[in-house]
Parts: sequence; structure tokens; C-alpha cells
Amino acid sequence: MKRKALSAAVLAASLVGLSACSSDSAESGSDSVETVTIGSVHPLSGSLAGVGGLMNDGAKMAVEDINAAGGIESLGGAQLELLDGDSQGEAQVGQSEAQRLISGGAVALVGTYQSDVTQNVASVAERSKVPFVIDVAVDDKILEQGYKNTFRIQPDASSMGQAGAQALVAMGEETGEPIDSAAYIHIEGAFGDSVFAAFKEEAEKQGITITKEITYSGSNFSDATTQVSEALAGNPDIIAVTGYYPDNLLVAKAVGSMANDTKAVFGIASGAFDDTSFPAAAGDAGTEVLSANYHYSATSDRAADIRARFEEKYGKPMETASMLSYQAVEVIAEGLEESGSDDPEELRDAIAGLSLEDPLLAFDGPIQFGEDGQNENATVIVMQVLDGKVEQVFPQQFATAELVFPAGSGN
Amino acid sequence: MTATDAPAAPQAPKLRPANGAKRQYTFLLIVIAALFFVPYILPDSAQPVAVRTLIFAIMAVGWNLMSGFGGMFSFGHAVFFGVGAYTDAYLLTAFGVSPWLSMIIGAVLAAGVGLTIAYFCLRYKLAGSYFALATFAFAQMFYLLSQNLGFLNKTDGINVPLLPEESWAMLQFDQDSKFYFWIPLVILGLAMAVTIYFAHSRAGQFAQAIRDDATAAESLGIKVMKYRLITVAMSCAITAVAGAYYSQYYLFVGPEQAFGIHVSTDAIIPAVIGGIGTIWGPLIGAAVVGPLSELIAHLLRNPPEFLEFLQGTSGLDVAVYAALLIVIVIFLPKGIYGTIRERMRK
Repeated sequence: MKRKALSAAVLAASLVGLSACSSDSAESGSDSVETVTIGSVHPLSGSLAGVGGLMNDGAKMAVEDINAAGGIESLGGAQLELLDGDSQGEAQVGQSEAQRLISGGAVALVGTYQSDVTQNVASVAERSKVPFVIDVAVDDKILEQGYKNTFRIQPDASSMGQAGAQALVAMGEETGEPIDSAAYIHIEGAFGDSVFAAFKEEAEKQGITITKEITYSGSNFSDATTQVSEALAGNPDIIAVTGYYPDNLLVAKAVGSMANDTKAVFGIASGAFDDTSFPAAAGDAGTEVLSANYHYSATSDRAADIRARFEEKYGKPMETASMLSYQAVEVIAEGLEESGSDDPEELRDAIAGLSLEDPLLAFDGPIQFGEDGQNENATVIVMQVLDGKVEQVFPQQFATAELVFPAGSGN
Repeated sequence: MTATDAPAAPQAPKLRPANGAKRQYTFLLIVIAALFFVPYILPDSAQPVAVRTLIFAIMAVGWNLMSGFGGMFSFGHAVFFGVGAYTDAYLLTAFGVSPWLSMIIGAVLAAGVGLTIAYFCLRYKLAGSYFALATFAFAQMFYLLSQNLGFLNKTDGINVPLLPEESWAMLQFDQDSKFYFWIPLVILGLAMAVTIYFAHSRAGQFAQAIRDDATAAESLGIKVMKYRLITVAMSCAITAVAGAYYSQYYLFVGPEQAFGIHVSTDAIIPAVIGGIGTIWGPLIGAAVVGPLSELIAHLLRNPPEFLEFLQGTSGLDVAVYAALLIVIVIFLPKGIYGTIRERMRK
């Protein structure tokens, strides 16, 4: 009998546990159009909390800047409000956060840094008919689902591989140091595989031989010596590298510690080589390392102003990922301005037809989205570590310093 | 528990369990019926959390069969969850197979995989932490396999395509549909019913006897391997159904979501917190753990006055979670339900 009473108590407790969330009742933002809510989903806790926090701050700063400049004019000066969600780096959490933000009144989403989380958030956006502007997430596949509500500002993996190869050829021509061969070291998995495949196709078309493809596992990677000596064995003109920050740093260090005749280490979509902290972390090994990647535009005064204020406010340099979050909020704000409505479906149509001049990133032109939602003018530029700083060196229109090629790395 | 005398005198002890089973079935029915109304109380924004909690609960019920009733501590239930999840996603995208059918196929496959793993582990007399380590190793193996198998899209994972309209056959509804809650609720009810049936059945009694003392059980003529494997097969099948439902609800599965180490712990923790080897433990544990991080995050977003200084911090849920685990292990070593039951009996 006692057990029965106990069981009843337990049932009550579990019900309370489940329904305790019900106090979370959505304060939906339908009070005329005084505020428009944007949801931001990034990894704010977990192993990616560092970059996730920077990105969230970037989005927050964009909202503050737009509000300070008078809000959304076509909505009578409506103010923007940013609701943030923490994906914890996990796809299912990202999905439930996206749903929470939408039911909390968000008319658009930005996010999420990781491809798998982005994948899930994109499906939420599609089902809820709420536009979702991807700030960072590289996988080609995300936009291959035929979703109508997802847009991406940065270039996808395969276009970065292709553009990397083209930049390499163009640089060789310009400096009179043609590149005939390359060894490629990349991380295992969708990101590395797809960048490499696209690079290979374009490079071979342009007459560059791939002497060797070397892959490594992102987890448990503590020394790159084996991979680098394998790459050097074929005596390539270039060592091309794709991966994330810690592993690419190891690759650069390993190349630096080995005598070799390569003309340069060339990162393609590398998470390390154009990071602000890379020159200091790599030391001598980082000198004159090249990197083809999407990047904030160091030649734009607007970007420089934002970066300066960001650093003052948050005490950290504003990395490109964070700039993309800022840009994503601007895209949404411009969409609101054009549509003159905070209805998500009208906003979606406005974003799809948008042409946003003066992007904060070094792109080929205004931000405008193709049928699949990809920014058509997204591209990579080439950067180089010179005098302990990451400088933009190629193409000429974005250059902040003179390209040094062949680079003196490894001597 | 004097289950060891079951084979000798099947008549006498049978009466009591049958009676107990009836009471438990009735109670289960009441619980499920009560939970049926949860979607009406919850706001839309909390529904994903409720669904996630149910998925946890199903996994924990599955894990509890093998590890709680069977005494074989598995640290690799991600294998069976992942097999279920991938079977569903793969069969659906490659052949258009209905998820209902895939659930069954996935359950059978997972049971097969579980049987193979358990057979070899037990055949070579791995027990205790060695058994746990072996299951963990298998989970890692499946993780790597899924990352490298072309037909599973390697690290890209598989997307379940969105349908333009709701479809019962394809188990897809509008995002806020209450069916997304009710379906796993029914699955959970069935899994619990299986547990109750098993706990009182001859096979279940044997399995528990083997857990308590394998040598003694064997000396009484119980076929140790056979009953252990029966327990494993049921456990894996239930966990696989949770995996298949995961794919359908989240519409995406990749190596990390299917075979990641956190999947294995997600199956273990509710059962440990609720009470290992008890019928109601996993359910209670899931109800505590499932919404925990959401509740804390909610608290941090709109903190009461005395907690004002915590506003905007993130990651605190992990700290609370850890503290809660430590407290439970120290003060309620048999889990919430297990400890309370013990106290009530005294």
C-alpha cells in the first residue's frame, strides 16, 4: 500500500518536472512593431564556447549599432532585439533552441558555426517558415536540401577549394614563379574531403599535379611530423593545408622545423593561418605562411571601425567568424527595411531578393543570394603572415601588404 | 529476492509476482494516461524538451534491462541507438521504407549486433568494468565505421527529407504536432510494459538470479548464457527504437549524434539517477535529467533577484548537473526511486 502512495508521489514529482518548463510561456513580440526579435544560435558553452561567444557578441553589437542608428526605418524606427540560444555544440540542442527562439517571437535566425547543428536549425527554419541566415558553416550539403528559408553569406567548402587553386595559379603567374606540384594535407571528414576534392579538380585542370594527399584525424592529433615528412617526400612546390586551428598550427610548426625547398605553405579554408593569434603562436614557423580563406575586409573603413569598437567593448580581437555574425544581422535588418514588415515570410522574400552593398568581408561584390540561398559573390582572398601580422596580399584590390613569394618558410 | 528457488518450486512464488505485475501494469497505465495530457499544459517552446526527455527515457529503460536487471554494465549503448537511427535514415532515404517498418528492422539488427557483442564478451568471461570497457570500445568502433562508410555519407550524416505534408506512414508531422510527443510516449509505455513483463517472467527471474550470483544460478541448472543473451537482445531492440525515433524527430543523424560517447551516457544517467534495476527508476531519472539543463538555462535568462549576478552566464547547467550526480551517488546510492523504496520497506 505504501508503495502505491509512494508511486503516486513520484508520478506527481515527474509531472512537475516535465511541466515546470511551462512557466516559460512565450512572451511573443506581437505588440505592434516596436521591437523585432532576431534569434541567435551559437555554441555558448562546451568546447567551442570561445568562438561561439565571440560570434554572439558580434551579432549583439550589430543589433546595438542598428538600433543606435534609428532602428528599422520602414517599420517606423522599430528596434531590434537579439534573443540568444546556446547550442552547446550539439545538433539536437541547437534544434530545440531554435524552436524555443521562434516560439519566443524571433522572426529570423542567425547561426551556428558547426555544420551539423546548422543542418538541424535549417530544418527547423524551413518547417517554421522563418528565414535563417548562416554566418559560419561550410558544408555544401546544407544548401543542397532545397530549403527555401536558409541563406549563407560565406563561401561553401567546394568553392573555397576551387578558388584556392585559382588563386595559387594567379599568384604564380604574377610573381613569375609558376607552381607545378602540390602536396595536400587535410583533416578527415566532410570539411577536409570536400575542400580537397574541389581543389584537386581545379588544380589538375590548371596543370598542377597533386603529388600526394595526406589525411589525419582531428581528434588525438598531437604531432604533424609524420604527415609533413610524407608530404615533403615528393618534393612539391607547395604544401596545401586544410583543417582547424590546433591541427593546422601543428602542421605549420612541423614544416618550420624541417629543411625543405617548398615555395610556400598554403592554407585553404584553414582555421589557423589567418587567425589573429596564429603569428604569435607559430613563431618563426608561421612566417610568410599563406592562407586562402574568407576574411573580413581589412581595406574597409567600416569593418575597421567595427573591429576597433568591438575590441574596446569585449576586450578581444574580432575574428572573421564574429564579423560574419555581425554581417548576418545586417542582412536581416536590410531585409526588414526592404519588406517593411516583420512577417517572417515577407522577410524571407526580401532577403532572397536582396543586394547588400559594402559587405564587411572581402567579397567580389554585394551580398546577394542565388536560388539555393548561397551568397553568389562570396569568395576567398589570400593572406600572409608578415612581420608577425596577418596581412591581406592577394588579389591586389584587397592587399594591405606586398605578397612575398616564394615564401622563406622552413629555412 | 530468492529467485533461485524459482525452478525448484515454480508454483508458490508465481502467485506473488503475478499479483505485483498486475499492480504495476495498472500503475503504468495511469502514468501514461496522465502524461498524455502534458502537451496541453506545455507551451510550444517546451515541447522539444519534453520529446527529448521521452527519448532519454526509452533509452534508459532499454539500458536498464541489460545493465540493471541483467547485471551487464554497458557503456556502449550508443551502438544500438545508432544502429536504430541509421537504419531508419538509410532505409528511408535510399529505399523510401516507412519509418515504422525501419523501427522494427533496426530493432532486429541492433539485437543481432548486441547478441554478437555480448556473446563474445561473455564467452571470453569479461565481467564488470572489463565488460563495460569492451562495450565502450565497440561504440567507438561503430563511431569510426559510420565516419568512414560511404553509403552512410561518412561524416556528413544523413538528412531525412522534409515532406510537404503530414504523413502517418512516413512518421512526419508539423513541427508543433502533439503526435511527436504521443508517439514516443506510447513507445515508452510499451517498453515499460516489456520491462514489467520480463521482470516477472521466468526468464527475467533467471536473469536476475544470474546477475546476483552466476555460479549459484548455473549450479541450479539455469542456462547462464541463454538468459543473459535474451536480456541483451531485448535491451538493444528497445534502445534501437529510440534511435529510429530520434532520426524521425530531428530529421538528421550523423556519427556524433548516433554513436557519440554522450549517447551512451545519456542512456546510463537517467537510470542511475532514478535507480538501476528498478522498473520506475529510468522514468523518474529521465524526468529529472531531461528538462534539467533547460530549467537552469531558463532560470539564468530570467533570474530571481537574489541570483541576479548569474544573468547571462552559460554552462552553469553542466556544473549543476555534476553536483546533482555527486549528491545522488553519495546520498541516494540506489537512485531516487531505489532509495525511497528501500526506506519505505523498512
